[in-house]
Parts: sequence; C-alpha cells; structure tokens
Amino acid sequence: MTTLAEAVAPRVRVLIAMFGLDQHETAAVAVAALLRDAGMEVLYLGRFQTPSSIALAAAHEDVDVVGISCHSWEYRHYVPELVERLGRIGVPLVLGGSVLTTTDADELRAAGVARVYGSGARDTEILTELRELASARRAKEELR
Amino acid sequence: MSERRFQRAEDVELDYGRDLGDPGSFPFTRGRHVSGRSASSWIQRELSGIGSPQESNRQFCQLIAHGAHGLDVIGDTPTMGLVDADHPLAAPAVGSSGVSLSRLADFRALYDGLPLEEISVSHSLPGAFGIAAYYLCAAERGLDCSKLRGSLLQAPLYTEDCAYATHLPAALRMRLTCDSIAFATARMPRYHSFIEDTYFISDGGLDAVEEMAFGFVEVRAVVRRLLARGLAIDSFAPRIGLLVNCRMSLFEEIAKVRATRRIFARMMRDEFGARDPRSQSAIVAVHTSGLTLTAQQPANNIVRGAVQALAMAMAGVQAMEISTFDEAFRTPSPEAHLVALRTQQILALETGVADVIDPLGGSYYIEALTSGIEAKILDMIARIEATGDALELEERGYFRRVIDAAARRYAREVAAGTRPVVGLNVHALPPEQDTLLRAAAERRDEPSCQRADELRAFRRTRDQRRVADALRELRRAAGEPDRDLMPPLCAALDAGGTLGELAGVMREGYGQEYDPFRQVTSPLAADNAA
Repeated sequence: MTTLAEAVAPRVRVLIAMFGLDQHETAAVAVAALLRDAGMEVLYLGRFQTPSSIALAAAHEDVDVVGISCHSWEYRHYVPELVERLGRIGVPLVLGGSVLTTTDADELRAAGVARVYGSGARDTEILTELRELASARRAKEELR
Repeated sequence: MSERRFQRAEDVELDYGRDLGDPGSFPFTRGRHVSGRSASSWIQRELSGIGSPQESNRQFCQLIAHGAHGLDVIGDTPTMGLVDADHPLAAPAVGSSGVSLSRLADFRALYDGLPLEEISVSHSLPGAFGIAAYYLCAAERGLDCSKLRGSLLQAPLYTEDCAYATHLPAALRMRLTCDSIAFATARMPRYHSFIEDTYFISDGGLDAVEEMAFGFVEVRAVVRRLLARGLAIDSFAPRIGLLVNCRMSLFEEIAKVRATRRIFARMMRDEFGARDPRSQSAIVAVHTSGLTLTAQQPANNIVRGAVQALAMAMAGVQAMEISTFDEAFRTPSPEAHLVALRTQQILALETGVADVIDPLGGSYYIEALTSGIEAKILDMIARIEATGDALELEERGYFRRVIDAAARRYAREVAAGTRPVVGLNVHALPPEQDTLLRAAAERRDEPSCQRADELRAFRRTRDQRRVADALRELRRAAGEPDRDLMPPLCAALDAGGTLGELAGVMREGYGQEYDPFRQVTSPLAADNAA
C-alpha cells in the first residue's frame, strides 16, 4: 500500500554494488529487484567495484543511499575507505549479506555504516529504513 | 501430473526394456554400473582449498586421513577469476575462499606427496589452466599420465554470469574448453576433462528443469564443436560427466538424476552416434545445495545435508560433496568438513543404501516424476536451441536474464513464505538463543598476505626472456583462431608465466585489454609500444 506522502515524495535512488572480486551476485540481483518493485530507482553498478569507483558513481548519480552486497570477507578491507569517501558527499552506506554476523554489525555501525543487514533481514525492514535514510539525507542537503 | 496425492499404475507409461533397463544397460536410467562400487559406494569427498597451496595440501592430507576417497579443490576468488595473488584487487581475497594458485610451482606444492595415480582429484579451477597444470605436475614427477584420474569443471557458457567471471571473451572460453578436452583425451585418457557443472549455474535459484536444460545446452554445444574438429565421439564422450545440484525437494532431485541419465543416453546414441556404452551412460556427481542452507541455526544445515545426501545415494550418483553447516559464512572449516564426511560415511556404511541400485525404480510416483521432468527438460532444451546458437545467446545475455529472474523468483518465494525455510521464515529463534554451532560457523581466516610478496619475489628472479618469449607465443596463438592453444599455454606455464599473465596475453590476442581492471600492465607492453 502506498501512502499519499510516499506517492508525492521523489523516488529513492539507491546504488547497488559489490566489492573487489566478490562475485556471488544472487543477493545483489534479488535486492535490486526488491527495491525496484517497491518503486525505488536502482543504479546497479554490480561486481568488481572499489571505494573510489563506488563513491564516484554515487556522486555523479546523486544517489540517496549506497548498498553493498557482501558475500566474501573483502568488505573488511574496503569499508573504512568507502565510509570516508561517502561521508564527504553525505551519502549513507548500508551493507547486506549472509557473511555479516551480529558482531560484524556492531563493529560496522561503530565504524560509520548506517545499517547492516544479515541474512535474516525482512524486506519491509530494509525498505522502511532505506526510505528513512533517504529522507534524512535530503533534509540535510536542503540545509546546506 | 494429477492432483491426486498418489500415483496409479495407469499414470506410468513405461516399457522396462526401452525406458529403464537394468542398471548398466541402455538407457541407463537406473545407473551406469551393474555392480556399483561395492560397500565403498560413491566417491566421498568434500570441497576444499584454503590459504596457500601448502596449507591446502595439509588440509587434503587431513581429509584423506579421515577417510575421504577423493579430493575436490576450489580456487580462491582471485584464482577463479585468473587474477594473480599480487594484483591490487586480490589482496583482501587471497586464500580466504579457496586455495590461492598463481603459477606452476603453486600447483606443484598443492599436489606435493599426494598419490595422484590412486586418488581422484576433482578441480573447480579455470578449465584449460587446471588441466595444463595438473598434466605438467604429473609429468614432471614421472607419473604415467594415462593412469591419472580426476576431473575438471568446464563451463564456457556460464562462468561469467555465475560468480566465476574470467573476463575472457566467450569465443576464447569455448576454444580453451575444446582444446583442453582434446588435449586430455590424447594424454590423460582416464581423466574426466569435461565435467558439466550444473551445480554452480543453478545455485542462484534455477529450478531442477532449468538446471539440467542449461547443462545439456552446454554439453551439446561443446560436443558439436569437438565433433566438427574431427574428434570421434567415442574418443571423448566416456569422460564427460555432470556435477549436479541437490536441493530439498528430494523425490524431484532423484527423478532429475534418473531423467538426466535417460536423456544423456538417447542423445549420445541417437543424435551423436556414440556406440561405446561408456559414452552413453552419464557419470553423475553431486554437490548439495548451498542456497538451501541458512545462516540461522547452522546446526539445521547438517540435517539438510544428510537428507540431500540420502536422496543422491538413492539416485546412485558416482561422487558426492555435501555443502557444510557453515556454508552461509565461508568455505568449509575443518570441523564442518568432518561432519559432512561423517554424514556420507554413516549413509554408506550404516544404512545399507549403498547395497542396492536404484531402490526407488518402479515406484509409480518416481517413474511418473522421472518421465515428467524428462519431458520438461527436453522441451526447454529445444526452446533454447530454437532461439539461437548457445554461444551467441550467451553473448546476448540470454542466460544471464534467466539466471537473474530465477534469483529474484527465489528471493520473493522466501520473503513471501511460500517457500518455507525452517529457522528463516518459519520457526525462527531470537538471535540470543541461536547459539548452537554459531561460533564454529562464523570463524574467519585472514587473507594470506605473504602470497603476494612471494609472487613478486618470484617475478623478479625468473628467467625473464624465457617467460616473455612464451607469453608472446601464447598471445600470437590466441590471435590465430585455428591454432591449438594447449601447447603454448603449457609452455608459458612451464616457463614461469602466471595465470594472470597467461589470461592477459590471450585477451590481448583477441584485441582486448590485458587487465580487465586496468590496474596492471602487460609484461609485453614494450612490444605493444614498439
């Protein structure tokens, strides 16, 4: 069900990508479909990305949120740099993937990641929180 | 199939001799052997490979000590993608999801001390490269290569779309597949150089029919090309095998294996003219589904693995690997390996399932299901082939679209709860209670950082002129479509070329960039400038 507020709000723009050589793409494809089904705009950057390529695309495309699908441990290497680069342009970062444990989630949030979704995450939870992150970012942008 | 929850004799239209036959006889629906493998049953093995080749070798020895009959080696993500361990993108991934292999000496260390003439080594490694390295290592040791067993997965059509992209052009991938099969047929006649891997193409969400249709489309595409080169069908077909998936729907999976054997037999005999019964009888191995396993309540995955393994034992597969309880988090830990291997051993030694062949044959239900799935697979193969040549379909993204649609379909079913997954969308536990085996499942290994340093040191000390000459020759051969790539590929490996270099110069031979990630330059860059 779409509320009136949702219907008149600009579409949430989300960039979906994967780090480095992590190639298990099934979840990234599924999440991109979930977001599109919910009316969001998805920029599917896909596999083989680095913090610089992701941040560059995020800035060019003026996205509201960056979502990284993680199915290898490479995120541990790339997250700090990506948090730093996205911080400069004020875009929140969310991570999802079965390799992300609850301990990881705590550490990643402490390191500046906005949301962390392990494999039990509910679709409704993801959609609601992405919308919240997007409107928070837009509110901040307007103040600038 | 009817809405009744049971089948009657009239639901099954079967002629025993025509559609089933005894085990070991055409159309091999009931299996390829008359006697099976006695009490030792199928080849029991587990997916392995971690860190350096030396560390993986120790892991292999441990598995053999625990009673594994065979090995199943997988490369880490850089190796699978033909990216060397010292590439800038490789560092965070080296050795953490498989073994890191960049040069011939790595393969030598991997196989060190293993009885290659006795044990079968299955390889999930980039096709032609794995075959070349295995052959060179065995030949160096003075082994009789005609006795070498083992196998290698080839997926020229699907590898780029299903987690193991090599960034080689499709035509080159197909050429390497055909060249390496021809090479192995001549030099390692007992080695299965063409395992059609329907596991990894389907574990993103393809169903059993889509899985086997895709598999047969690829088998047929490769076989037609080998025949067009003048190879006799009975020279290579006995060494074709299939590595299939097994999900939770156990009767469907059993029926799928039986249907696959019947389709394979009729296709080989009637369409491709195979006369040797070994060419007609499909060799089927299984890797149980990782997609069906959950991060929640990891101990439940042990139960899933056991059910899937029992199904495949009843289906009469030749070899098996069970996806382990820590699948959601990592490639198997030693603890997970042991549980999976013990699961196979319990089935083989305690249940009696290995004492009888095709125990479900003749069941109205199983036979109706087998015929139904067979018809659907055949129909889908025909529809795909009517759409176009498989290699062109791949280049147009046809398969990728089906694979993506399947991933979306699966995710929607799980989210909607129409596909029950215990512990995930039904009978979930709060995280604080979900502790059984959690610590073991979530344990991590650090990337093998010293691998990059070792490789850099090796690059400085090798015979540069010999490497450059060999790479130059490989690049030239790649640019000439009629040349057999195996001799220059073997020579370049032997000269000290790395997998990344070999792949890179072949890309150059096809007019593409040396490094798909544009981070390292070709060792032949000086030639290009000249």
